[in-house]
Amino acid sequence: MMYILVKKNLDQKLSEWSAKYEVVAPQKVEAYSQFLPFTESSELALNEPHNTRYPPKSLFLPQSEVMLKYNKRLNKFDEIRILPEKRIIFGIRPCDASALTLLDTVFDTEEYQDPYWAGRRENTILVGLGCSEPPSTCFCTTVGYGPFNHDGLDAIMTELDDVFVIEALSAKGEKLFSDFPAATNEHELSVLRIQSNAKQGMNQAFETEGLKQTLDHLFESDYWSEIAESCLGCGVCTYLCPTCFCFDIVDEVQRNERVRNWDTCMFRIYSQEASGHNPRPTISERTRQRLMHKYSYWLDHIEKIGCTGCGRCVRYCPVGLDIRAMLRTASNFESEVVNVG
Amino acid sequence: MSDNGHNPYNPIPMHIVRAYYESNDRSLKTFELVFDHQKDCDQFFSNYDPGQFCQLSIFGKGEAPFGIASAAWEGEFVRFTVQKMGSFTKYIHTLQAGDPIGMRGPLGNGFPLEDWKGKNIVIIGGGCAFSTLYALTKHVHHSKHRPDYEELIVIYGARTSGLCMYKHDIETWYQRSDMEIHQAIDVPEEDWSHHVGYVPDVVKDVAPSPQNAVAVVCGPPIMTKYTLPVLVNLGFAPEDIFTSLEKRMKCGIGKCGRCNIGSKYICKDGPVFSLAELNALPADI
Repeated sequence: MMYILVKKNLDQKLSEWSAKYEVVAPQKVEAYSQFLPFTESSELALNEPHNTRYPPKSLFLPQSEVMLKYNKRLNKFDEIRILPEKRIIFGIRPCDASALTLLDTVFDTEEYQDPYWAGRRENTILVGLGCSEPPSTCFCTTVGYGPFNHDGLDAIMTELDDVFVIEALSAKGEKLFSDFPAATNEHELSVLRIQSNAKQGMNQAFETEGLKQTLDHLFESDYWSEIAESCLGCGVCTYLCPTCFCFDIVDEVQRNERVRNWDTCMFRIYSQEASGHNPRPTISERTRQRLMHKYSYWLDHIEKIGCTGCGRCVRYCPVGLDIRAMLRTASNFESEVVNVG
Repeated sequence: MSDNGHNPYNPIPMHIVRAYYESNDRSLKTFELVFDHQKDCDQFFSNYDPGQFCQLSIFGKGEAPFGIASAAWEGEFVRFTVQKMGSFTKYIHTLQAGDPIGMRGPLGNGFPLEDWKGKNIVIIGGGCAFSTLYALTKHVHHSKHRPDYEELIVIYGARTSGLCMYKHDIETWYQRSDMEIHQAIDVPEEDWSHHVGYVPDVVKDVAPSPQNAVAVVCGPPIMTKYTLPVLVNLGFAPEDIFTSLEKRMKCGIGKCGRCNIGSKYICKDGPVFSLAELNALPADI
């Protein structure tokens, strides 16, 4: 069932929801946009062609999160689990929503459920905003998703001139929009046209067929040092990545808190062992880990690429490294290796 | 075991009941821990297999992984032998009987004891990595488990006699009729009547038969590196050779992402792997 939300009623609608839910939506922050709690004075940034810079994975796996507060002297602790009340994330892009479904396979497993992650996932309704004009850094269609992909979403919106047309995708989504006016045939036709144009406007950024095998084959080659040559090892590609989930657990001695923080395989210390041995001593091995994880190991785990093509790593790399170009080089490199050999 | 109320990051409250130096240079110290709550104890022992590890937790210091050095039948305690290495282990060494400590576990897969039933077991250890092998040997010793396995051969090497762990117990193994024990130290010492030499050479001398046998090797990387080819030369198939790996781990439950070798997580898919499994992994060790 398709519904419409008239754009000029948007703020009013979000305010109404705010009475029952915490509403989080992309808002203008300096030159970028970011998901923040909606208030009356919020300046929404729904019409940005780019994704938010800071990934909404932080709403489920915060960059820094207190897990417990301890009293060293009494050797006691209080578990801290600050979970949201019912929450709506409004305007999340399909790449970020599908990334959450990938991370579910890490955090919500049969054997060990991460209660912080699972609690937040359960309490959240995801209302997506499809991408009518995907920017040039995006490559979702290359990795098996699309600008109007449904994975993880409870509803998806398509933006027309004066309305958002909403398709409910789950019982939660249906319930949220059931009293909204129904979309007309004309609306639905426009939606089909926009969605199909958006998808067709995206080129294949690199070949994924056989890519895993190519990378596996290149594991001990010079390919990695070549593509990593200009990498600074700053880790921004991993921090902003919606599918990167590595974390560290540390005790903050001054605050008596055990905290988990985002971590990154791009740092030397990440894999440094107590003996001094480091299995990934240079930026080449660390770049290899980042790419292999996304384009080989994820496939071993769930037969899916661990990248949803959001393009943040391309857009925000301070030295302009482009994962698409790196991966295009892989197949060239392999054919050279094969030809020479 | 999905359980909405359970938080796998919470340390289980325990106390140290026994703490003693294991080596004459005081670099190795053994701790025996008991549970503060019976339900935690029951939960632990319903899941524990030798070869598994725990995260020991100290508020203000953090957590680090250690292999379990006791078998379930020994009693309702958990034994760890800790080598003083960095700031965390240095602090643990200051702890005494009566001190509280936190623990998360048991974690990891443990030795595939079911698959080994009916086979000869060759246990090869070096240095403080012998701890989980000690737990394995103790497990097999128990009258309830001993009939499940055929011959038991233990080869254990340390640099000096002063660094040999679990001395008093291991000395009694020479009297047992149901096993062979070979201890070795690197260089000769007065009063040392056992082997002298490096573990790979001792394995060559002992030459355990690969017939209907599995071999498990835990030790410093250099020892493991030179012992594996000896076993292969003796005729052990890569599927029948096992080892236990260590990595810098944090969560211990396959979430934090840092202990992978290729697509395997040491904490969750390991720490015990067969040589066949290791051979299939990329060189990221």
